[in-house]
Amino acid sequence: MSDQSTAERAEYLSRRRARMLPVLAVIFLSQQATFFSTLNSPAPHSAYAVKISAWLVLSIVLLAALSTKGFWLQPKEVRDLIDDENTRANRNEGMRWGFLFSMAAAIGVYALTLFDTTVTARDAVHIVMTIGLAAALIRWGILERRAHKDG
Amino acid sequence: MAERLANRLKDRRTELGLTQAELADRVGVTRKTVNTVENGVFTPSATLAIKLAGALDLSVEQLFWIES
Repeated sequence: MSDQSTAERAEYLSRRRARMLPVLAVIFLSQQATFFSTLNSPAPHSAYAVKISAWLVLSIVLLAALSTKGFWLQPKEVRDLIDDENTRANRNEGMRWGFLFSMAAAIGVYALTLFDTTVTARDAVHIVMTIGLAAALIRWGILERRAHKDG
Repeated sequence: MAERLANRLKDRRTELGLTQAELADRVGVTRKTVNTVENGVFTPSATLAIKLAGALDLSVEQLFWIES
């Protein structure tokens, strides 16, 4: 693969990622809304286990995409170029937002228990992780889209 | 008073007849990073600033300065 095609490939993938990040966050949040709205419905234990597992797998994949260079199937030179200085700065800013939103969610869940609302440990972790991951993805996506705009 | 890092990246790049993609290729970053530095959206590291200055045949001080 020549240098030129590496640069073009990196540019293409970087633009695609900028478009996909907010979409992924919305899909992720929508899934959780469905999950919590059907939480108290009488469903067999196996269906609940499948839902939990699906959420866990998606969360791990998104977390890996956030904390690594992503594009695991691409050649190393493309992955290195995609993860250049500006991308790392944008990703770090996204992670910072994710952390702050996670903490805010944790405070919210903790405060809920003051009003005699029962929140299981599993639900609390689910809420905190979901909000943190979604906030990080959205912020990173916004920054990447802004960076791609021609000046 | 807030300070920002101003630059003459776009002027110099245009003088040399380079596109953002070509300059990005010379310093080993994506076009997006050159674009954000040019627009003042992103403050580059010292390493990238030196690479950019070298690619544009200027000193770092000629390419970047602090504006209040």
